[in-house]
Parts: sequence; structure tokens; C-alpha cells
Amino acid sequence: MVLDGPAFDRAYRDHAPRLRAVAFAVLRDRDAAEDAVHGALMRVWSAGAYRPERGPLLPFLIACVRREALDAVRSAKRRHLREVRASADQPAATDPTAAVDPVEARRVRRALEQLPEAQREVIVRAYYGHRTLAEVAHDAQLPLGTVKSRLAAGLRHLHSALSEGPR
Amino acid sequence: MNHLDDDAELYALGLTDRERDAEIEAHLAECDACRARVVTAEAAAASLAAALPPAPAATSRRAWWPAVAAAAAVVFAATTAFEANSARAANAQLARNDGALVAIASSHFGHTTLTADSGVVAKAIYARDGAWCYVVATGAPRGAHVVLHQGTAARDMGALDGEPGTLFVRGAGRADEVDVVAGGRTVAHGTPAY
Repeated sequence: MVLDGPAFDRAYRDHAPRLRAVAFAVLRDRDAAEDAVHGALMRVWSAGAYRPERGPLLPFLIACVRREALDAVRSAKRRHLREVRASADQPAATDPTAAVDPVEARRVRRALEQLPEAQREVIVRAYYGHRTLAEVAHDAQLPLGTVKSRLAAGLRHLHSALSEGPR
Repeated sequence: MNHLDDDAELYALGLTDRERDAEIEAHLAECDACRARVVTAEAAAASLAAALPPAPAATSRRAWWPAVAAAAAVVFAATTAFEANSARAANAQLARNDGALVAIASSHFGHTTLTADSGVVAKAIYARDGAWCYVVATGAPRGAHVVLHQGTAARDMGALDGEPGTLFVRGAGRADEVDVVAGGRTVAHGTPAY
């Protein structure tokens, strides 16, 4: 394919809504979210951090954007510089009909419902409540090691449920 | 280094701390098994993201981004054609739209946000070897010029064009400072880090 401006624009447009949703869920500020997306993409590109043989691009970018957004909200909290409201106290709404891809969203919710309660709880707290490991441990009154192993097992379980479940 | 174990999933969720991330990324560069595990975990984490509500569009002052991104693609294609070709070949299994992103993702350039007057947002991206520099600015006065400083020398590279204003400078050298100047005043200023 030709690496011209229009081709790049198309790629950016295809991915930007998903990436923006990831950042916005954490930051609750549209400009801060856009900055997090730009920052993550620039970081990935300037470091040459991605190679195609690594695997699909979008999940990698989503992980990068989420890290960037979590960093931004935590440094903002530390510095008290700006009012960026982490939605930690009120887990982000996960209304499947309002998602970027409602069909995929429903499928994910069904898969989450198949997880053991203990695993689902820590995933929802950490991912949709944007909590750190220590915060999840504190809120759920669990040892840190238990939180880590439940999160990891839960994510693996979720992957199996999504791979086997009806599409 | 030992395998990642549960940290593979925690990393994909963005829950490892940034010092640990550096170790993890170093390990991923040389361990196929852990890389496969992280890729699987990232796919599951991306599914969690699919249930998030959409974000409202950013305000217009972030409008410079598509111009930077498109220009970066063009610049990269023009300056590292060989790498772009190999990236494309390796990328055959990926979706067609990912090609340009992949090519840029394999390049080596830096970027800096310029400190600017209120109402002006400016960014410089530059090849680490000094082969080129690209400046993009929104809200800069019409006819604003880009001036590159290197040691005691200052070079006027020409006017920004369009809105957002853009200027691509080939053979820029490793400028110490990048200025956007209008009416004899510096409206944006930054320092590249090669």
C-alpha cells in the first residue's frame, strides 16, 4: 500500500474512536483524553516500540493508551494541578448500547458474567473503576498477591470465554 | 530474567508500575513465550475496552494532530523507504489500514510540544539524525516563520503554510532550538532532544 497522507488519515480515523474511549474512561476530560492518545501514539512511533511480528496493532495501542491515561490521571492527582476526575468512585457506565461497538460490548459483558465472582469483581474494580492494584486490594479487603493472581486468572479466563463463546 | 507469569496479564491491563514495565519490555524483546502471553492478554484487555462508552470529540485546539500524523507518514515514507518496505512485507498479515501506522511505528523520530503564546499550539517532530524537521502550529499568526537555531547561527527556514500551519524542512540539521516567529516576536519556542 502507499504510505501517503490519506492512507494514514484513514488508519487514524479507524482507530481513534476506540483509543479515545479508553483514555476518556480514565480521564473524564475530552482534551486530556485526546492528549493521552496523541502522547501514546507519539511514544510508540518515536521509540519504534512496535513491530508487526509482535501481533495485532490495535490491542497493543489500546494497552499503551490506557497506560498513558492512567499515568496522566495519577500525576495530576499527585501534583493537584488540575481537576481531572478519575471515575474511580463511580465505575464508568458500561452500557452496551452506548459502546463504540455495541455487539462486541454485549459479547464482552456475557463473557464477564461467566467468570467466577471473585475474578469478575477484581477485573471490574481495576478496569472499569481505574484502580491501582493497591487500591483494589484495599477496597476489596484482599491481600495484594490475591488481587494479582485473581486479575491474571480472570483475564485468561475472559480470553477463553471470548474465544469459545458465540460471536 | 525470569518469565513474566502473572505480570503478563497485569502489564496488559496497565497495572504494573513503570519501572517494572521497562523490565517487562526488555524481556518481551527476547522471549517468544511471554510475548505470546502478553499479546493474548492484550486482546482480552482490548475486549474490556470495547464495552466502554464512546468519548466526546476533543475540542478544536487539538486539531493539529491529524496534520502531524499524516505528515509523519509522508516524511517517513520519503526518508526511510527501505525500512518501510521491510515493515510492509512483514505486515502482510495485518489489516490493510494498519500499514501506515506500522511503518511509522518502526521509525525513529522525536517530537516536542513548543511553549507557545496563548491561543497557539505548536509541535515539532524531527528525525533523530537531523535529516528533517517538521513544524505544525494551530492559531499562529498568518505568515509566521520557522527559525532554527544551531550554536550561534539562526536560520529562517520559511513561512508556515495553511491552517494548521505546517512546514517541512529537509536537511534541518540538529537544531538546538526551534522557534515560530511572527512580526519580529517569538510566538512558540521549543528544544528538541535528539
